[in-house]
Amino acid sequence: MKPAPFDYYAPRTIEEAYKLLAEAGGGATVLAGGQTLMPLLALRMSQPFILVDINKIDALKGVTRVTNSAGSRVERRASGGPQGEAQEAPSTSATRIGPVVRQNEVIADETLRRCLPVLVTATRHVGHHQTRNRGTIGGSIALGEPAAELPATAAALGASIEVRSVRGTRRVRADEMYLAPYATALEPDELITTIEFPDWPSDTVPLFREVARRPGDFALVGLVGALAIESGRISRAGIAWFGMGPVPMKARQAEAALTGQSVAALDVQSIAELAVADTAPFDDRHASAEYRRTVGRRIFARALGEALNVRQAA
Amino acid sequence: MSSAHVNDGRVIGKRMLRKEDARLLTGRGTFVDDVVLPGMLHVAFVRSPIARGRIRSIDISSARDLPGVLAVLTPNDLDPFNVKLLSFFFTPAMSVPVPLLARDRVAYVGDPVAMVVAQDRYIAEDAAALVIVDYEEEDPVVTIADAKRAPPVHPGMESNVAAVMGIEKDDDLEEALTNAPYLLTRTVRHQRLSQSPMETRGVLATKQGDELLVYVTCQSPHLVARYLALALDKPHLSVRVIAKDVGGAFGLKNHPWREEMSVIVGSMLLGSPLKWIEDRWENLVAANQAREQEMTVRVAFDGSGKLLAAHSDYSLNNGAYPQGAEANIAVHMFIWAAYKMPQLGFFTRGWHTNTVGNGAYRGPWGMESLARETMLDIAARELSIDPIEIRRRNLITKADQPCTTPMGLPLEDITPAECLDKLLEVIDVSAFRAGQAAARKQGKYLGLGIAVYIEPTGAAGQMAPMTGELAHLRIEPTGKVTALMSTHSQGHGTESTMAQVIADQLGVAYEDVTVFEGDSSRGGFGPGAAGSRQGVIGGGACRRAAALLKEKVKRVAAHILDADPESITVENGVVIVAGAESKTRSLRQIAEIAYGEPARLPPDTESGLEAQYRYDPPPVTFTSAAHACIVEIDADTGFVKIKRWLSCEDCGTIINPAVVEGQIAGGLAQAIGAVLLEEAGYDSRGNPLAVTYKDYLLPAISDVPDFEYVHACTPSKSEGGFRGVGEGGAIIGPPTLVNAIADALSPFGEVPLELPLTPTRILELIERRPLTGKTEAATTATSAPATPMTAQAGAAQAAANATLSSPAATMTSASHAHSAVIGGCWNMVLATPVGPQKIIGRFNTEGDVLKGVLESDQGSQSFAGTIAGNRLKWEMKVTEPMPITLKYDLTVEGNKLSGKVKMGLFGSANLTGERA
Amino acid sequence: MSEHKIELTINGRRQQATVEGRKTLCDFLRVDTGCTGVHVGCEHGVCGACTVIIDGLAVRSCLMLAVQTDGCAVTTVEGLAAPDGALHPVQQALRDEHGVQCGFCTPGVVMTLAALTDGPKRPDADTLLDAMSGHICRCTGYQGIRRAACKLASKTGAEKP
Repeated sequence: MKPAPFDYYAPRTIEEAYKLLAEAGGGATVLAGGQTLMPLLALRMSQPFILVDINKIDALKGVTRVTNSAGSRVERRASGGPQGEAQEAPSTSATRIGPVVRQNEVIADETLRRCLPVLVTATRHVGHHQTRNRGTIGGSIALGEPAAELPATAAALGASIEVRSVRGTRRVRADEMYLAPYATALEPDELITTIEFPDWPSDTVPLFREVARRPGDFALVGLVGALAIESGRISRAGIAWFGMGPVPMKARQAEAALTGQSVAALDVQSIAELAVADTAPFDDRHASAEYRRTVGRRIFARALGEALNVRQAA
Repeated sequence: MSSAHVNDGRVIGKRMLRKEDARLLTGRGTFVDDVVLPGMLHVAFVRSPIARGRIRSIDISSARDLPGVLAVLTPNDLDPFNVKLLSFFFTPAMSVPVPLLARDRVAYVGDPVAMVVAQDRYIAEDAAALVIVDYEEEDPVVTIADAKRAPPVHPGMESNVAAVMGIEKDDDLEEALTNAPYLLTRTVRHQRLSQSPMETRGVLATKQGDELLVYVTCQSPHLVARYLALALDKPHLSVRVIAKDVGGAFGLKNHPWREEMSVIVGSMLLGSPLKWIEDRWENLVAANQAREQEMTVRVAFDGSGKLLAAHSDYSLNNGAYPQGAEANIAVHMFIWAAYKMPQLGFFTRGWHTNTVGNGAYRGPWGMESLARETMLDIAARELSIDPIEIRRRNLITKADQPCTTPMGLPLEDITPAECLDKLLEVIDVSAFRAGQAAARKQGKYLGLGIAVYIEPTGAAGQMAPMTGELAHLRIEPTGKVTALMSTHSQGHGTESTMAQVIADQLGVAYEDVTVFEGDSSRGGFGPGAAGSRQGVIGGGACRRAAALLKEKVKRVAAHILDADPESITVENGVVIVAGAESKTRSLRQIAEIAYGEPARLPPDTESGLEAQYRYDPPPVTFTSAAHACIVEIDADTGFVKIKRWLSCEDCGTIINPAVVEGQIAGGLAQAIGAVLLEEAGYDSRGNPLAVTYKDYLLPAISDVPDFEYVHACTPSKSEGGFRGVGEGGAIIGPPTLVNAIADALSPFGEVPLELPLTPTRILELIERRPLTGKTEAATTATSAPATPMTAQAGAAQAAANATLSSPAATMTSASHAHSAVIGGCWNMVLATPVGPQKIIGRFNTEGDVLKGVLESDQGSQSFAGTIAGNRLKWEMKVTEPMPITLKYDLTVEGNKLSGKVKMGLFGSANLTGERA
Repeated sequence: MSEHKIELTINGRRQQATVEGRKTLCDFLRVDTGCTGVHVGCEHGVCGACTVIIDGLAVRSCLMLAVQTDGCAVTTVEGLAAPDGALHPVQQALRDEHGVQCGFCTPGVVMTLAALTDGPKRPDADTLLDAMSGHICRCTGYQGIRRAACKLASKTGAEKP
């Protein structure tokens, strides 16, 4: 179980990195935290000619807050990639996370704890302590494992993903990033340069539930999301499933049903039905599709009920 | 190290810190992969990607030409050595010869076909991928059910029966069963397990003149040396086997098998030291596994729940090349051994299939306790008797002994009923029942499971390898004690426990005793860890040898000190003459004279202070136990939380409670894995489904509770009163846990006796509806057919194929004479790394031309291909997740189709389908 | 197939090496530097036996390339005990609590606990036990490992004295 031969590069800049990807013509693989890629290399399921290690690119690290108008957003002016531009207007404030930020750095980061508590909660469930010391947020988001926490979290919270290549910069909405298991909207020559999570109102209730065989295993069923509440009504809902289909599955019908509703008057069970209606789970050796639907319905109802009970009690 | 232990004389029964831990905790152990020899070369195997087929040809030229490759060995190179692979009992392993490397035919996925020798493992694996093997694939025999109806897996055999014993229907017994007031019949199914020692198999072999030196991770270097001498059968060859530290074995490493023997023979052939360290993928695909078995038990009771008669019909999947074809007679020997069972019968068979061979795993006969104890609970429920009461009415107590079981086992000191009583002293069952009833009202499901068993341990004198154990003791001239043992630790801590016995018996400090094991040139023959024997027999050997040695010390000291031998004692390394303090000497002072001044010894006394004893215990020493487990089941998810687990075992005189408890705990953890998590299965084409630890789920720390122990400590008839404890947890754990789960779920119905009890299976019972359904025919498409290949660690199928397939290997199905109807709509499932992907295929035929569309909810893509008979082939180019060409190769049989999809460098995935 | 010169510190000693790009860190440590206490149990990042400390953090050495440790400080299980043989507190706790049987997973367990307890804050038991879920032990049923972790944990989650 040893990797096949490849040429290893560790560029220092984003430009060097995407040039390497372009020159490789699809034969390169990006190494971020490596916690999933390394087993694939060892099993020779992945046999790239070139491995581009992005861990030494300082520009891909760090967490920053942006609170400004669109005009000052340099990267937006530069955007407009070959596949067109995500049209949703950016929120006025957001948190930008470099793709090489380690998962344990996400958990420890004061800004993220304050601004994106759901992301922090979800990240605690990614792998194990030891893999979170290396594994990165960008790596997880780029991989697109359908049962992973972070792609679903990005989709639920309305994150956008900035990608760059020799052809330019573009943004991909997280909920449009995933096409099939491990198949993303990323082109082979593109590199994720930022993951941007829009701010949610200060009065936002987090949702997170995961059912996994053992701690650190991929989810059999998981859900993640946020509910913004204004004057006793849900003003905004963002919810996505993981492990419930070939990609992170947005619970769009449930989101629509929740939005504008009074917290006090919600029918939790019927919303859970709607939420499960937006899933497409499959059978695998760890659980059946019907198991996932059944459990999904229940944990959704419980998570929603508990979140809103806590909210009402407060 | 606490000095308290040094001075109070006795160390038996104390939680002495283990001697081996000092090196193991600091990374200074010596496991086989830690040994490096000059000129050492590395081996990688080329393995079959198909479960069954004929090898048309092997082309090793590209592999051999790769720089850094020294040789590519095939059966033509190894067969002239005429190696005979034997069972643990030194008999032929099965009725047809077991090849080292597959010749002409492959019989399971992972079957070694060729062996690359290179300067490092990386290059060896590069070269292995370049060996081109042309296979003619045949339909495999995968399950026991397949084996019963399919033609033989092995040409030359009449059927797939590997071994058979017993009577299917005996008239007298049938009458007793059918006439009984209550007859309970159940079929218990146990899944296939991987022993999964954390250190995989591995070997480093070198021939130095006439000495074959083999470093191998194993359960007894003595047994391996004997095995090699017999299997190689070469005049003038001496064999030395070394295994200093071993990272767990659990039965897998009883003796070398095909890969180890290939490496050993290869090293002799090439004249170079060769090392092969099994990687985990190989371990999960090609290392022998255990347990895939099913047993139908019929057991008759009278109206009061007393046992009347029973019959068990058992089948064990032996795989293609078991490490000894077997029908597991022990299952029937022990199933009712602890109970008053007037009449019983059995029928038992082992079956060959195209799966990796059956090997040993901790408590290989444990199915008996699983079946008996779970069925006793069912009977109790159906007869409205308390599960404890039904056991009490039937268990053999001290008062019933001596007695002989219907299978001829003499019993004289088993204590299962007494263990159950002791267990019930520490668990308040009625309080639990009250709490359980209250919890149920709140939708919380608690369950209590109890199970009782006896286990044969320390067996000796009746089977070739099951000999006595040997202790060779020396009081060195330094006064320190050296022991050379026939025992061997794979984590058992025998360096410590044997030292405890010796220290006590000799009257020396524990710290002053050093036990050497792990080298066939030291100590003497012993089978190692097999059948919970080393503490019992090795401990007895230590006591006897130490007694001999102490006798000599007394005799020598009495002569030197002019004292009566009866007045001499040895305490803490000091020789004391009663009533004569001035004559006190250190053991070292006596030893220096014993070795260096023979003239001062008594007449006719051999110099030195050495003694050796080979202890033969009674034929078998029984250990008894009763366990209780309390679980809570999450009715939302079907997850089982173990809240409490109590063990009351009787392992006689305890040498080191920490070691005993460690053995129980380790076995129980494996039991928890077997009941809830682990499963090494195959798909219908014989492809292994759990080839990484992402899919083979071993218990993690959060899965295993803190165990509570009650020690019964009835001394056995064996020297020292010891009883074995190595396997018990793995045997009694599964029924204890299954009974607890069944108790918790009793409001919903009866738990199926089919392991593992996955969340899906448990939720099915809670929901009272199937959750698995007809998965293959489900219509919810989940991913685009254009993107079936994805990358994932733990991706069973693709991993299996990706690492197995050489780029040029061809995958062909057996040709079929009949033609099939191909056109129409097919529901297909592609076994990709992320699990099954559903695809709808619409096929049109025009002569030999096949046209069609593959659809899923992600989109559709059309294709064109060819038809040859019932064989369909086409190619599709996809761009996501990367540009690759998918090559479909399918065979239609009636309303079913199956085949493979090659996915470029990712290997291939199996596709099955049914007509819509 | 690229080769790379690297310079790193292993157990406090500076070392230079030339490594092939594809060589995993665990193979480099075991084969090239003789740190055979780094045990390879699965080579795909699940079992945790190969865990080492890199720049203060416990990581799986099978999931890193050797070339990536250029400039890093690597500690293996061989680097913990004092030169006089005195065990590191983590090693001592595991020994006292009988947390070892075959010893194959042990170095990884030791390194995770050492990385967490040698840091500026002594974690509470839940944190240590949570991290232990990243180690597979097939022998002990985790009983002694759990006791050792609890013994090493801060009772309060407060700063170390």
